Amino acid sequence: MALPPNVSEEVFASALSEFAQAVGDEWVFSSDEDVALYRDSYSIYWDEPEERVASAAVAPANVEEVQQIVRVANRYGIPIYPISTGRNLTYGGAAPTLSGSVVVDLKRMNRVLEVDEDRHFALVEPGVSYFDLYNYIQERGLNVMLDVPDPGWGSPIGNSLDHGVGYTMSPYRDHFGSHCGMEFVTAEGEVVRTGNGAMPGSESWQDYRYGVGPMIDGLLAQSNFGIVTKMGFWLMPMPETFLTGTVTVPRYGDFDALVKEVSYLEDSFLTGMPSFGSPAARGGIGRQAPTQLAELMQDGWPSVERLEDFVSAQGRPAWSVELRFYGPEEVVRASWEAAKRRFGDRVAGASFEDGDFWRLPLPADELATNPRKAVLGVPALEIFATMARNPQTNEAPLEGHADLFAFLPRKAEAVHDAARMMSETYSEFGTPPAHHPFSTPINFYSRAFIVAAIVPTWRDAAKNAQSRALYSRLIDRCAENGWIVYRTNPAFQDQLVSKLSFNNNALLRFEEKLKDGIDPKGIISPGRYGIWPASMRSGRA
Amino acid sequence: MRVTIVMAALAVLATAAFAQDSPSADNGKVVFDKWCTPCHGAVAPPEMPFGGDGLPGTSALGVKYRGELPAVLEERTDLAPEFIETVVRGGLFGMPITRKTEVSESELEDVIAYLTRNNN
Ligand SMILES: Cc1cc2nc3c(=O)[nH]c(=O)nc-3n(C[C@H](O)[C@H](O)[C@H](O)COP(=O)(O)OP(=O)(O)OC[C@H]3O[C@@H](n4cnc5c(N)ncnc54)[C@H](O)[C@@H]3O)c2cc1C
Ligand code: HEC
Repeated sequence: MALPPNVSEEVFASALSEFAQAVGDEWVFSSDEDVALYRDSYSIYWDEPEERVASAAVAPANVEEVQQIVRVANRYGIPIYPISTGRNLTYGGAAPTLSGSVVVDLKRMNRVLEVDEDRHFALVEPGVSYFDLYNYIQERGLNVMLDVPDPGWGSPIGNSLDHGVGYTMSPYRDHFGSHCGMEFVTAEGEVVRTGNGAMPGSESWQDYRYGVGPMIDGLLAQSNFGIVTKMGFWLMPMPETFLTGTVTVPRYGDFDALVKEVSYLEDSFLTGMPSFGSPAARGGIGRQAPTQLAELMQDGWPSVERLEDFVSAQGRPAWSVELRFYGPEEVVRASWEAAKRRFGDRVAGASFEDGDFWRLPLPADELATNPRKAVLGVPALEIFATMARNPQTNEAPLEGHADLFAFLPRKAEAVHDAARMMSETYSEFGTPPAHHPFSTPINFYSRAFIVAAIVPTWRDAAKNAQSRALYSRLIDRCAENGWIVYRTNPAFQDQLVSKLSFNNNALLRFEEKLKDGIDPKGIISPGRYGIWPASMRSGRA
Repeated sequence: MRVTIVMAALAVLATAAFAQDSPSADNGKVVFDKWCTPCHGAVAPPEMPFGGDGLPGTSALGVKYRGELPAVLEERTDLAPEFIETVVRGGLFGMPITRKTEVSESELEDVIAYLTRNNN
């Protein structure tokens, strides 16, 4: 049985029995078999000594029980690690940052407290998954649309606290950015409400999020300053219709103009999440560059002239972008017309193709076979098909992956540079490059481009060592280029945070001062995103 | 008359006791629909925009068994209870671990009863 660091077996046993008094025996998990359920299924250290593993888990049913758990942990100096739905796959799963922590599994706190279809918000507890919230809305026929990440079993709270993202209009895709009001329990067991929730009897907790004074909500995300027990989220009113249209531009060099125009439309709220592609290269994101591209790249990164020739030889346009419009029919059709006019004015040879047009919400039977659930705010797990066994991967489907999203300025040049850096780094490690000159960005956050690396993880130490070396090198290379990686799993959090070193790590030092004041014993999620309690802050000035 | 009432009462008691003690395939179906159907369902989108095809579990098992066994888990008649438990609690390739706060021990027994209901 794993123990928390510097805690004796006796002390741990006493703590566990006090946890049991707080939540009931049934909800303290301490057998090896039960604790193993909190392993990160996609761990990049699977079965190695560095794999992050819990010592136990405890599952409270309400805020009072969370307070009691925190007080017990504080008294005994036991590190605890809160999770909401614990499905943070690729970014650590349900496993703690510090091995030996007790996971506080909030899955049982699963009440949807309110959904207001006139003011368009939801107030939920941590264990409420996107599936749960969606079903709640469906059962009541409420006129709102969710913005969901691909996997529907995660939660608005867990996802947003790791800065997770979705697929609809820009204000909603940023899940933390669309939250309004939270309640959390401090390391001392006190309950705090932010924003207007701090005023007893406030009627606008989910309507106005600044309250009065500093907005401290940001301290609860990618950090370890408290355990969030409630959060409000702004929702989009259910749009009457959904329409898509695809713009293609003929030449490699047209990407620049395409990007600028897409940014114009996004920042004017005239389109939902744009989706870039490359017809010439047949697709954008893939585990492996298509064969002709591999040939094209044999002698290094091709010149623009060679790329233009390649495009002409393919006889297909170099780039495409699908625009997605949400709203009344008159409006979405007009938006698409306006977009066509603007692209036509700016890129010679731009062409346009109408896509889907659906009245919303789609009936359940039509949704079941609809492959575009995420852009419609409908939770699903279909994304896992991309990594599952298929005719090509028959013998070796992925066992997991560690994602690395490089955040770039919205410039054509930055996208090509990032693709090139990733392609060269993959080659250096003998991994077939997944990136190429036609790699396209993803726009989860409307103001930044993402070029993504999906690094495989395995239940095999030798293969994981290779993946780790690649992943770690990618973090370094991103930083050398000035690109932030927005999120990572515990194995790389210290490395990633070390890149935010402006003025002798002033930001981290500030966070550490807060940590020392708010959680002096450092019991909540020690080490999460590089924030260690004073006693564990070795190796840093 | 009295006999019938007593019998009915006994029957109710018996069902209650039964419900507690032995796994229920009916409830197993409910749990399966919530936790497994999104990957192992029978009704799949034709193709996914990101590549990959349809539902992850169903399409993967289609490839794995090449039609020798049904791709849809609910149509299988050969699944051993221990195997189901090992996969659900330990994960298998992209299918991750399921915790007891998600699918409890008794719910997993129900799922197993459901998936093995037609076993030979
Ligand atoms: C195939 C695939 C596709 C994915 N697609 C997406 C996607 O489209 N968008 C996306 O955002 N992610 C995506 N992910 C990543 C991840 O699975 C999701 O972000 C998922 O929602 C995170 O898990 P969760 O919601 O259960 O959060 P949790 O695991 O519950 O929480 C995440 C972390 O936040 C902290 N935390 C959670 N709850 C609390 C709390 N109450 N108080 C304090 N701290 C807390 C903890 O440190 C925890 O580890 C994908 C993963 C895979 C494998
Ligand atoms: C995220 C998607 C996902 C979910 C949810 C999921 N599975 Fe799976 N499951 C898979 C995939 C993918 C495979 C195939 C793995 C492989 O390639 O061998 C699989 C395989 C299995 C197998 C092995 C079958 C065989 O013959 O090899 C069993 C049993 C199984 N799943 C049961 C379940 C049960 C029960 C649930 C619900 C509690 C569930 N799964 C939920 C994706 C999922």
